[in-house]
Amino acid sequence: MSRNSPFNWILLILSSLVLLFILAPLAGMFLHTGGSELLETVNDQEVRASIWLTIWVAFAATFFFAIGAIPLAWLLARKEFPMKNVVQGIIDLPVVLPHTAAGIAVLGFISRDGLLGKAANSVGLTLINNPGGIALAMAFVSIPFLINAARDGFTAVPERLEKAALSLGASRTRVFFTISLPLAWRSIMTGFVMMFARGMSEFGAVVIVAYHPMVAPVLIYERFSSFGLKYARPAAVLFIIVALAVFILLRLISVRKKETHILPDAEA
Amino acid sequence: MLKLENISKKLGDFTLSGISMEIREGEYYVLLGRSGSGKTQLLELIAGLNEADSGKIWLDDEDITFKKIQDRNIGLVFQDYAIFPNLTVFGNIAYSLHCRKTDKPTIKKEVTRIAKELNISHLLNRFTHNLSGGELQRVALARTLITSPRLLLLDEPLASIDASLKDDIKRTFRQLNRKGLTIIHVTHDYSEAVSLATWIGVIHNGRVIQEGSPDDVFGKPANRFVARYAGIRNFFRVRFSKEGLSWKAESDGKLAFNLTEGSYPEEGLIIIKSSAISIYNAELPRDTGNCFKGVVKDISPCEQGMELLVEAGELFYVDVPMNDFKKLQITDTSDVWISFPSEACIVLNGGSV
Repeated sequence: MSRNSPFNWILLILSSLVLLFILAPLAGMFLHTGGSELLETVNDQEVRASIWLTIWVAFAATFFFAIGAIPLAWLLARKEFPMKNVVQGIIDLPVVLPHTAAGIAVLGFISRDGLLGKAANSVGLTLINNPGGIALAMAFVSIPFLINAARDGFTAVPERLEKAALSLGASRTRVFFTISLPLAWRSIMTGFVMMFARGMSEFGAVVIVAYHPMVAPVLIYERFSSFGLKYARPAAVLFIIVALAVFILLRLISVRKKETHILPDAEA
Repeated sequence: MLKLENISKKLGDFTLSGISMEIREGEYYVLLGRSGSGKTQLLELIAGLNEADSGKIWLDDEDITFKKIQDRNIGLVFQDYAIFPNLTVFGNIAYSLHCRKTDKPTIKKEVTRIAKELNISHLLNRFTHNLSGGELQRVALARTLITSPRLLLLDEPLASIDASLKDDIKRTFRQLNRKGLTIIHVTHDYSEAVSLATWIGVIHNGRVIQEGSPDDVFGKPANRFVARYAGIRNFFRVRFSKEGLSWKAESDGKLAFNLTEGSYPEEGLIIIKSSAISIYNAELPRDTGNCFKGVVKDISPCEQGMELLVEAGELFYVDVPMNDFKKLQITDTSDVWISFPSEACIVLNGGSV
């Protein structure tokens, strides 16, 4: 096909339009935010606290839920069991729910009448308007990203490598930690970053569970609804810069992990 | 040493059925079969990667049918080696020792020893993704041998190796076997079986159809499938008849073969090895059992010299050593006489595989 064919031009124009659609609002926001406004926001204790809260709660939620999500992903990749499709459907459910509805569901679960709420109350903990509750809301809407990416990662690890390790005398646990996990690591890290990023940006579910302490998306909304676009914009820009920095850092960590070459399973 | 009793296993549309075989201590057993014949599946059952649906597997009089793969002490070298790409060569070879919580100095000593034995000492610190097939094969072998397995299983070990390295690897296998290691080697290549096996099993469609020494299996193939494996190309469907004291076999092309004394069924298949047929450019003065006049239809080079296709009532493939071929001055339209003794006519039992 010629390099200047009409098809190539159409592809180029359509692709550019989509990219422009993503970049233009962001660029506009950055261009409309002056350096002094941004500096003022950086010095704003409330903004800094909310961004820090968002990052650590999203990270903690991702980290703690990964402990259960990664073995579940391995199970989905390796084992056949009854109702597996139903289980897979349940995992994907949070992705299709309206996020406010997800928030309502989590709220019901962690309120004083809810199962988890009661348990937390019994040890003197209230999850509503608490970082713990925020973490649960973030995890609820973002955990499918980690499970699905990790499942794909484990699926790509040839089963015969695990069998080879077993035949060399390794226990199932050792095989998991020395073969399956390291070889699926890149996909797991991608899922981890996606879950973390999705958790950080969550507004709908979090705002229902905890208006205070304020995570960054709630703070931006609060500033917008109370003071208008001009006051919300610098906070939004700062949050985007920080989120991007963290996102890029995590991606770099996962990419720097030595690339391994995996051959597909040999024909039986 | 290893005994399989009536092993059956269904895998999708394919079934291994009623497999019974015995591998004796120190034997080099080659399981020969085409791809899809079930040989790899059988190996995986022995190694414990899969469990049999029925039947029993005994190792040294112990029932290991449902024994955990980790506890069988059977070494398996996979067809594509299954080298762990996240570990160095050293890490791969040391893997089983780490599992056994061996101390570090012993691990280093053992890995160094086995690497030296298999000529891969220079590779120990390398990752495995840019190693050659031969090097990967040796790493896989070292990784398995370091466990001191009771039995070594090799799944198509020479399939992805350059021809120039095959002899080297074969020598290694022979040496291991000579040192007393019992080996089961799965392959589709009959020349591997001939050059390595002390005992051969031929597997076809999930069944072991013939077992025996290489001489038995290739000298007296049980059926057409095994004969084809042995490189035999002259097959004739015949009707047997007795004339006085001697037996004759008449082919579909109405060619009558003189047979040795014995008892024969009414009809069946006979095979004649290409190398057992002699060729002449003049009629023989004396009776050699079977002698037919024919015309050369095709000439092509083969391992032994030249392969001639001769039309003599039936089509015969004849291997002629290069010196004889030059002396006879045969062209592809020459009139020739072919002859073979009655003993060269091998009657197949099954006939129809």
